[in-house]
Amino acid sequence: MDAATLNPLSLVRRRFRQWWQARLPLTDTYTLTQRNVYILPTRPGWMLALTLLVLLVGSINYQLNLGYLLTFLLAGSALVGMHVCHATLRGLTLNLQTPAQQFAGTAATLSVVLSNARKSVRHSIGLAVLDATHEDHWTWTDVPAEGSCTVQVAFRPEKRGLHRVPPLTAETRFPLGTFRVWTVWRPAAQVLVYPAPELHPPPLPPGEPRAGGAAAARAQSTGEFEGVRAYRRGDPLKLVVWKKAAKSDELVSRDTMQAQRYELWLDFAGAGHQDREGRISRLAAWVLQADKLDQDYGLRLPGLQIKPGSGEAHKRRCLEALALC
Amino acid sequence: MLNLRLRLAALPRDARDTLFLLVVIGWVLLPHIGNLPWWCTLLAAGVLLWRGTLAVQGKPLPGKWWLFGLLAATLGATWLTHRTLLGRDAGVTLIVVLLALKTLELRARRDAFVVFFLSFFTMLTNFFFSQSLPVAAAMLVALLGLLTALVNAHMPVGRPSLAEAARTAGWMALLGAPVMALLFVLFPRFAPLWGIPSDAMTGRSGLSSQMQIGNVAQLALDDSIAFRVKWQGNPPPQDQLYFRGPVFADFDGREWRPLAPRLAARFPPIRIEEPMLQVAGTPIRYELTMEPNNRPWLLTLDAAVQPPQAPGLVAAMSGDLQWVASRPVVDLLRYTAESYPQFRYGPRRRAAVLTEYRQLPAGFNPRTIELAGEIQREHPGADSAVLVDAVMDRLRTGGYRYTLEPGQYGQDTADEFWFDKKEGFCEHIASSFVVLVRALGIPARIVTGYQGGQRNNVDNYWIVRQSDAHAWAEVWFDGRGWTRVDPTSAVAPGRTGTFERLLPPRGVFANAMDTVSPNLVASMRAAWEAMNNGWNQWILNYTQSRQLNLLRNLGFESPSWEDLSYLLLAIIVVAALAGAAWTWWDRLQHDPWLRLLGRARKRLRAAGLETGHNVAPRQIANLVTARFGEDARRLADWLLRLEAQRYARQPGASLQALRREFQQLPWPT
Repeated sequence: MDAATLNPLSLVRRRFRQWWQARLPLTDTYTLTQRNVYILPTRPGWMLALTLLVLLVGSINYQLNLGYLLTFLLAGSALVGMHVCHATLRGLTLNLQTPAQQFAGTAATLSVVLSNARKSVRHSIGLAVLDATHEDHWTWTDVPAEGSCTVQVAFRPEKRGLHRVPPLTAETRFPLGTFRVWTVWRPAAQVLVYPAPELHPPPLPPGEPRAGGAAAARAQSTGEFEGVRAYRRGDPLKLVVWKKAAKSDELVSRDTMQAQRYELWLDFAGAGHQDREGRISRLAAWVLQADKLDQDYGLRLPGLQIKPGSGEAHKRRCLEALALC
Repeated sequence: MLNLRLRLAALPRDARDTLFLLVVIGWVLLPHIGNLPWWCTLLAAGVLLWRGTLAVQGKPLPGKWWLFGLLAATLGATWLTHRTLLGRDAGVTLIVVLLALKTLELRARRDAFVVFFLSFFTMLTNFFFSQSLPVAAAMLVALLGLLTALVNAHMPVGRPSLAEAARTAGWMALLGAPVMALLFVLFPRFAPLWGIPSDAMTGRSGLSSQMQIGNVAQLALDDSIAFRVKWQGNPPPQDQLYFRGPVFADFDGREWRPLAPRLAARFPPIRIEEPMLQVAGTPIRYELTMEPNNRPWLLTLDAAVQPPQAPGLVAAMSGDLQWVASRPVVDLLRYTAESYPQFRYGPRRRAAVLTEYRQLPAGFNPRTIELAGEIQREHPGADSAVLVDAVMDRLRTGGYRYTLEPGQYGQDTADEFWFDKKEGFCEHIASSFVVLVRALGIPARIVTGYQGGQRNNVDNYWIVRQSDAHAWAEVWFDGRGWTRVDPTSAVAPGRTGTFERLLPPRGVFANAMDTVSPNLVASMRAAWEAMNNGWNQWILNYTQSRQLNLLRNLGFESPSWEDLSYLLLAIIVVAALAGAAWTWWDRLQHDPWLRLLGRARKRLRAAGLETGHNVAPRQIANLVTARFGEDARRLADWLLRLEAQRYARQPGASLQALRREFQQLPWPT
């Protein structure tokens, strides 16, 4: 806990923000109306107000009718600017596209479609993830007249699991920068965050003898699971590891003996003696590695077992299981 | 030209934006060139050019020390020029330099703000010097330019064209104009909050409160407008157009001054049985619009009995028939007056008070006094009128010349005029005349003011310029009182009769224009000045009194500025209510079909059936029948018809009917 979190004012402010955000509806399509678009003057806006005051006093003191005209025309333009600023967001429709699964710790992108039914361009709309780090995280865009555009914002999920998409915010200061018009939007969509794969995982565990199969000694001797061998004439095409073949000119076949005798099991219990998250992250790395090798693999987690298999769907299933366990 | 455009298009966006802003700043500063010390103009221009070069070449901006150095140099130079760092002129110099120097700090687009605010002050300072129509037009362009720069700075995406930003800015200004008009008309005009700044009026010429030889000749070169007159009925003939200003009777040999107040106070009060001022004939009525001159004098045609009329104007007549307002004329002042060309003024009989008007300073103009003795000897026992006629004869026949450039006069101005130079401007003539007449023992004084005027054919206003400034004499005759005698008319009859002005030498351009079409320049000028007059009458002359007049027309009994505030507030409230009503109406317009569906969803949610926002009525109907069974058949049917109304409309299927039915549906609870 640092000083900022202990500060009663910021505590109250944070509480208020939480309470206020909790009131917002959860929806993937958000149409901005009078009710959910907010407007406040910016610092330059206050400066403009001060400027107007000084201009007015100057005009009064020097009895400059032209000074009055200048002051009032500027004030009128600023007033119109306020309206234009509010109208830039008002009536805009935001639509979140179903977010893709992500690995924890990597930047995830959310695609938001901004649709504009109006007959004029909406300028300079910024979109960002709310409460992100304080760096410049805005993505700016113009939405064409009677059209739409897609904006991507990034966020970095820290933990694995099923997360709600973080609240998003859109804002604009167009045209004069004297007002900030913004909205806060809580999308209903959820994003599944896979565990972050271990950076330098140990080699894949040795295969286990298939139930009812024969000896397990060979694989253990090398310590590495080698399920491939050079192509021999007569190997059925099914056994050719095409992925590897594509990389080198040599054809490689799955070692049918191996495949028949051993099964690769990625086991929670056998993932080293670290903490739970460490093991899960190692398992995730192994899943990716095995998939890359185009290997059949199964996953054993406490209370869950996924039978060996391969392919994209299998990989996703395993990663989901890892994310949610 | 094309080459330049290509080069501009090739510049990076930041450089282009900076160049645009520099051009706008240059435009804002342009009207100031005449008002600034020469070094300030050079410095500002140099800095702007330097910044522009850096932008084009993409070089880094100079360091902080450059700025500090330039700023310090500016402060020093300002001090040397104005001997102060405060006040109007020094302030204007400083703000111009600050604005120019700020551009050297213009790193990001957000700095446009500081430049923006500084530019507005600079624009206001332009009005200290001139509120004319061209300056107003230039500042309107400047305002649009600044708004364009600001809008452009808030379009961070890509490289928007400046024309696009300009269009947005133009629209904003156009829509803001009604607000401006409303505030301009109704915003209460206060008196200056802490007194009119003493420097508000410097640089505006006009008659002065004393007459040193040479004053009026200087004015004759000034072509600016002193006032405008609109006659009700026919204008009087040119030779009667004497607009009376300050009257001078106290001469110290160098300078003419009004009689000191203590002497004027001894003036006997006006007696009822023999009024000081008697008038006859029909009065001339006119409306006079005076340019501000920071003097209290209200110019009237001789002689006005009633004080000039303007709302809020308090005027009193001085002992010498001059109308004086209770405060200086600091903004455009319009008043109506009534003058009688036939009048008598002053004591009928020789009175003690008149001795003041016969005094001459000792030791000055000995030859003139000698001349007076000669004239008296030539006309023994003659009365004042004959003597004055003799003096006028001498002026007419003595080879005297009327000129703008009589050269420097020395110690004894009257002597030099009568005997040596024999030429002069109206002030020399009048001064020498009065000295001679006084030497003859006749009371006389100098009146300054304006003589003549020119009709503008476009709007029929008469324009009287500073160059129409004139000085003449008044002589007291026994039994007639003060009588106007214009010695200049004896020297140069054209000056007052057909009205010829002495023209300063003309420029090459004017000569060239004359050879093309002699009348073109004159008529263009007339149209231009008529336009200016309209500007003055409608915009610059919009004062508190006219504001209150407006309220009176609107039905306020005795309007005050509080009433103005109430009216302004009421209009703002009405506008706000109208805005709220529009918002409400807009929400009503917000797809009635969707709103009806929303209401149905809400009722179902209350019954425990949650449906998402993007679930179609048909799906809702399915959900309803699945959940509530046969009871909800009518409801499901209604939902289906709702869908059909939107997507497969049958003739006669109205939303209104569906809405009515909505009330009677058997909603599940």
